Amino acid sequence: MTNKEHRCSPAFKKQPSHVQQIKQNYFQLFKQSESFELDVSTLAENYRQLQLEAHPDRFAAASETEKMRAVQLSSYLNEAYDTLKSTLRRAAYLLSLHDVDVEQVEQSDLSMDLLLEQIQLREALDELPKDSSALPALENLKADVTVKLAGMERKFADGLQRREFGSAKKVFHEMQFLHKLLAEIDSSEEQCLGY
Amino acid sequence: MALLQISEPGRKPAAAMHRRAVGIDLGTTNSLVTASCGSGVEALPDEDGGQLLPSAVQYRKNQTPVVGALAKAAAIDDPENSILSVKRLLGKSRSEILSQDPFIPYQFDDSREDGAPAIVTAAGVKDPVQISADILRVLRDRAEACLAGELEGVVITVPAYFNDAQRQQTKDAARLAGLPVLRLLNEPTAAAVAYGLDTSDQGNIVVFDLGGGTFDVSLLSLQRGVFEVLATGGDTNLGGDDFDRVLCDWLMQVSSHSGTLSHSKRIELLYLANQIRHQLSDEESVDVSYGAWTGKLDAELFTELTQDLVNRTINTCRRVLRDARLTVDAIDNIVLVGGATRMPVIRNAVAEFFGKSPLVNIDPDKVVAIGAGIQADVLIGNKSEDNFLLLDVNPLSLGIETMGELVEKIIPRNTTIPVAKAQEFTTFKDGQTVMSLHVVQGERELVSDCRSLARFELRGIPPMVAGAAKIRVTFQVDADGLLSVTAQELSTNTKSEIQIKPSYGLNADAIEKMLESSRDHAQADMESRALKEAQLEATQLIDALANASKVDGELLSAEEASRMADVVARLQSAISDGSSNQIHALSEELNQVSGDFAARRMDLTIGEALRGHSIDEIERSTDE
Repeated sequence: MTNKEHRCSPAFKKQPSHVQQIKQNYFQLFKQSESFELDVSTLAENYRQLQLEAHPDRFAAASETEKMRAVQLSSYLNEAYDTLKSTLRRAAYLLSLHDVDVEQVEQSDLSMDLLLEQIQLREALDELPKDSSALPALENLKADVTVKLAGMERKFADGLQRREFGSAKKVFHEMQFLHKLLAEIDSSEEQCLGY
Repeated sequence: MALLQISEPGRKPAAAMHRRAVGIDLGTTNSLVTASCGSGVEALPDEDGGQLLPSAVQYRKNQTPVVGALAKAAAIDDPENSILSVKRLLGKSRSEILSQDPFIPYQFDDSREDGAPAIVTAAGVKDPVQISADILRVLRDRAEACLAGELEGVVITVPAYFNDAQRQQTKDAARLAGLPVLRLLNEPTAAAVAYGLDTSDQGNIVVFDLGGGTFDVSLLSLQRGVFEVLATGGDTNLGGDDFDRVLCDWLMQVSSHSGTLSHSKRIELLYLANQIRHQLSDEESVDVSYGAWTGKLDAELFTELTQDLVNRTINTCRRVLRDARLTVDAIDNIVLVGGATRMPVIRNAVAEFFGKSPLVNIDPDKVVAIGAGIQADVLIGNKSEDNFLLLDVNPLSLGIETMGELVEKIIPRNTTIPVAKAQEFTTFKDGQTVMSLHVVQGERELVSDCRSLARFELRGIPPMVAGAAKIRVTFQVDADGLLSVTAQELSTNTKSEIQIKPSYGLNADAIEKMLESSRDHAQADMESRALKEAQLEATQLIDALANASKVDGELLSAEEASRMADVVARLQSAISDGSSNQIHALSEELNQVSGDFAARRMDLTIGEALRGHSIDEIERSTDE
């Protein structure tokens, strides 16, 4: 019986705590401080601990209602983890906590310099041959973009810390561009590899 | 209060009571049932002590079906009534099956309008769910005899790559066989469990599963009792059977056999090929005789003949590593699953690619069923001390059709399940009260290239201008990988939902082909997407203009009207056979010639809106 006790943390004993849990801020859910910089391995560890308690497999022999609740809770944990795990989604989530909607893109969010740089990077990508000879160049391009992205992430963390949400939002959109570009580099790579 | 019981997962009637739970590997070639017996989880034997049950069923008039080795042997003399590899038929349509295997010896019931591959046998028409259920019944009886009582919980394994329809049908077959299903478990995950608990490893595990008819690769990380699937990939149409087929072709060629074989002769040849392949796993060279021809087959020639198949498996490994963003150095263990991994060509290729020898100490034919047995024991609550958990992913992206036959992905592949994701959609036409939702599975951007899972309608949307209604579509995938979809109009809470059930009338390609072509066609996809979008925008523009002319026709001069009609005609012809650039250019031209008309209309509408309001009201509202 002690094992059973161990498997069920008090948080899951009754309905009200569930409801509370499911509305919780993602950072609080995983016991992290609300900032852009976070320790991904602690995040992962806390995520796994919570899943050990909430996953529907823990309720395989239980009633339908209980199973359904477990599915909801476990889905919520996955969504929260997925959001905080990715730097881009984490950034968007942090902005949303400060009522900044990143879906609303203003003309002023995108500077001419940024657009020009994006066009140049994209042209560089387009001009590469579509076979395996392009792989080293793709690798270089990826490294360049990754360095740029790391710089942007530092800038975003700074902006957020100084509570300059408007400028943080601009940085977010630059990060978004770079992520998109990385995805395109990835898919070009896959094309070159013949996947 | 029912919810209070959440605190007691896996409630037991009494702490000391061991509940009867089994794991079942419902394989393409062989099936197996396991249960925990004292020391550990073991395969349960039949009356004669055999453990592997060939997944073959023979139907005879007015008799109970024969399942197992006898049915497999009967396939030579009675191919129409002896069903082999039924797993390959699950969740598929007749036409799909026939296009994959034109030699299939079964007589399908063509009167089935849903396109289901129901087979006409001496014992009546049987569909793949019923045939699978007949195999499961034999395993159930065996387990109940061994465990002396009714089963209380069963875990059934499925290939990680099984789509929603295939999973649903597996579950249906279990229900038909009277089995209480605790969970569908992905085969590679089950294999990792079988090894993971033995070695209590931490690290990254690749499970390479080459069965009779399917191939899966999964990459899992194991951390403190939590197995997390990082990525999965595979080929639902690649298996040991394909190596047999290569050997058949070779035998036909060297024996100068031409023409087609009868079904009996073909099955006989397949069995011979299979036997040679098994011998080659233990011997360097095998003496072969086929008809009047005799000769030798050695490992070197076999390697050469099967090189393409082996390369396909390694390519999948490479892709899965890439999806998980890991390199071969990060892999701590490789687990081999499936009888076909006994082939030295496979073992060598795997060892070479990963730079280390794969684990083979658990029988590759039993490892999946053993993992399922362990999981069943844990789920039913017999082994609460083993605090382990499996976090699986969905293997294929799930999405919804949007205007212009495009797919909006809602849950991307390799997302950890269970998962719920919502996306908001809106109406396309003014006053639209019904929205039709088409749920698809696959990686491509166009609906026609993905597998259709279900269609349903959301009715009772309040009439509003196009784009004003807010419809939230929620996808929920449960821990078995099964999808349900709900759609809700947010202003009125009108709701509609569907549990996805397999639809048969599919002419979609095999899943693997979809994935493959999604990569081949990424470029072509983008172009056709651009075209679709341009067509859509242009059609909307023409519609809007036609509407406006009808309402405010008096604002148009005859000259303007004829100029507009001219551009509209040219744009319409570009929509049907022009490029996206042509459509864009003409849309732009139409915008220009209709610009003045639009401006006049705007003035009029604003005027109307202001009418009846006092100046002061307007000022106040602008102040706010």
